[in-house]
Amino acid sequence: MSKEEIITRLAQSVIDGEPEDAVELAKQALDEGLDPLVCINQGLTAGINRVGELFASGEYFLPDLIIGGEAMKAALAVLEPALAGDQERQILGRVVLGTVRGDLHEIGKTLVGTMLTANGFLVTDIGIDKPAADFVSAAREANATLIGASALLTTTMPEQQKIVEELKEAGLRDQVRVMIGGAPITQGWADKIGADGYAEDAISAVALAKQLVGVPV
Amino acid sequence: MPIEPIRTTFQIQLLSHEQLNRLQEATLTILEEVGVRFPSQKALAIFADHGALVDHDTQIVRIPRDLVRRAMATVPRYFNLGARDPACDLHLQECVTYFATDGCGVETIDFETGQRRSSVKADVERMARVADYLSSIAFYWPMISAQDFGRAAPLHELDASWNNMGKHIQSETLMGEVPARYGIEMGTVIAGDKDELRRRPLFSVVICTIAPLAQDKEGIEGALLLAEAGIPVGFLAMPTMGTTAPSTFAGALAVGDAEIISATVLMQLAHPGAPVFHSLMEAWADPRSGAYVAYQAKARCRYAQIELAHHWGMPALGGAFGTESVNPGTWQAAADVAMDPILVSLVGTEIVTGLGLNRSYTLLHAESLILDDELYHRARNTLMDLEVDDNTLALDSIRAVGPGGHFMAQEHTRKHMRTMMEMGVTHQLGPDGKYRDPLEVAREKVNWILNNHQPEPLEEAKRAELSRILAAAGRELG
Ligand code: B12
Repeated sequence: MSKEEIITRLAQSVIDGEPEDAVELAKQALDEGLDPLVCINQGLTAGINRVGELFASGEYFLPDLIIGGEAMKAALAVLEPALAGDQERQILGRVVLGTVRGDLHEIGKTLVGTMLTANGFLVTDIGIDKPAADFVSAAREANATLIGASALLTTTMPEQQKIVEELKEAGLRDQVRVMIGGAPITQGWADKIGADGYAEDAISAVALAKQLVGVPV
Repeated sequence: MPIEPIRTTFQIQLLSHEQLNRLQEATLTILEEVGVRFPSQKALAIFADHGALVDHDTQIVRIPRDLVRRAMATVPRYFNLGARDPACDLHLQECVTYFATDGCGVETIDFETGQRRSSVKADVERMARVADYLSSIAFYWPMISAQDFGRAAPLHELDASWNNMGKHIQSETLMGEVPARYGIEMGTVIAGDKDELRRRPLFSVVICTIAPLAQDKEGIEGALLLAEAGIPVGFLAMPTMGTTAPSTFAGALAVGDAEIISATVLMQLAHPGAPVFHSLMEAWADPRSGAYVAYQAKARCRYAQIELAHHWGMPALGGAFGTESVNPGTWQAAADVAMDPILVSLVGTEIVTGLGLNRSYTLLHAESLILDDELYHRARNTLMDLEVDDNTLALDSIRAVGPGGHFMAQEHTRKHMRTMMEMGVTHQLGPDGKYRDPLEVAREKVNWILNNHQPEPLEEAKRAELSRILAAAGRELG
């Protein structure tokens, strides 16, 4: 297989949502001495961008998007450790995402994560039922510029406020933007707690995230 | 107005015996082979004591089918839901279906200003009064959340309800041991003592299972306390096809049922004979956006789960109404839900939630409760027997009029024409002799009820006791 062919097939494995193929191709690429960064940017990223387009145009449904993302993630796990010290995959921003303490509603948060990933963000999903402190420490560890917090219950919304407060206490408020969402959340609540933005659904969450990290929407 | 449940002698059977057995078998297989996560030491200990396979690291319990069968043998098929006003006690039984309001909305369109805003306790109070008046409403789900009371909100929702209505209250927010304990204390005050509360439980609680195949620690531990006190609990699975459940209805039924049965087994092991109801409300994830979709054109065998509940020997809480339409009075608001009350009654559901919310259970327009009440009465009347006798056949009248002419001058017509139609929201004549806008009529009716209906107030001493308990709860819960 030619180098170009490997890269094209890497992209295709993401478009087709074939994690095993993606991993095999990634290994093959390294064996053949291809630059892992080129494989990522021209193979995987090109593939996931295409998936995003197909999803936006209505051809792809959610599972296509999710499985495409998994293929990308699987291949990244092979390629990223092989990057040279000064090489870094291009991303729009690092996001720490989770559902707040006491709240077990998972799907909205997961969808936001999927859409952000498909649009070039690096997402650390810390899961559900997470206290404010976990968001803050994960943001510190991941060197994140964005926190996304989901709350679906009126009784758990105050934990979003706590995230903003604890970021301040940790001295990270200037580096980290906070966006919030969930069925009971409104722009009014975001304003009240001093969050940087609110989005009603996963599509607008991407636009918001881009705006917050200063990327043209 | 007295409660008017849907009573019908008609019945339909959606699933064959073979299909029901197959579904039940799927549940038994899931419980035995896959298991369900119970993130509660208490629950795990009870399961372990009774011989279930407990993995303490993953908190997953696998339940052998013999144990499931043994535990399920003690679930009561019917029980009572008591009410502050004993005339509103509900005796679950065959061929009678009792309905509730929808519950737990997060926003309301302010009845006076028309502005959309977060809900507060005063909204719960007001809607309790409206629901107390309506004959369609047999029991009350506090319709919106008392967001002005933080973590003590669930208890304030009970307080707002008991102070403004005589009917049974079903909470969908009383999660966790501490709130449950306060709730039982409040119920005991109203009932008079613990035994009376057990005999005529004035409230019950619905606890969601966490799709797929997990439970909520707070929900489960609160439920154990409630079951001990004789308060009926229901486990509500909301499998969403495509995201939290397989994208086929049978698969969603299997996952949801396994969640419900695992929790029911736990209650029976801990408190044999505890009143538990089964509830499964399926939905779809929009394949493009993931949005929660409760109504779509390809739904099949809606309410099959009620038959599954009965197959297990449990009463069922069905989900009806709850349109996705944001606004009331739209085509969608009626199209989504109009078949529900008919179907859910025909399959023999014991209790059903819930009338009156828009935007998938999140937004309250007070008018919607009146509009749904109208749909309810249409269904109720549709399912009533037709009287065929000398009087209703009216042969004398027919003879008297003969071919041609009209019936307006007949005494028989005069007698029956007054009551032959229900002058609901759709048939109110305006001063111009034309029918008025149903939405406007509904709004007026809300207003009329609020101005004219005064439920029997709670005794002063009991009110004071409730306030004392709420203050203590507020301090403990924050
Ligand atoms: C499905 C569901 C559940 C499922 C969740 C399953 C799961 N694994 O996730 C189950 C059955 C487990 C459940 C449980 C409960 N639920 Co629930 N649930 C819902 C329901 C019907 C839909 C939620 C959903 O999945 N929507 C689909 C997703 C795709 O949409 P979404 O979550 O809104 O997310 C989108 C946006 O909000 C936004 N977004 C979300 N998060 C974020 C984050 C960021 C950063 C951004 C930018 C955007 C964003 O983008 C997302 C994608 O488009 C809602 C009602 C509703 N219409 O929202 C009630 C609802 C939220 N639940 C409610 C309740 C009361 C409960 C329970 C307490 C019930 C009980 N008695 O046990 C428990 C609580 C458990 C707990 N501790 O969390 C109430 C809350 C009321 C209130 N006043 O707070 C609601 C409103 C329903 C109601 N009226 O009763 N629930």
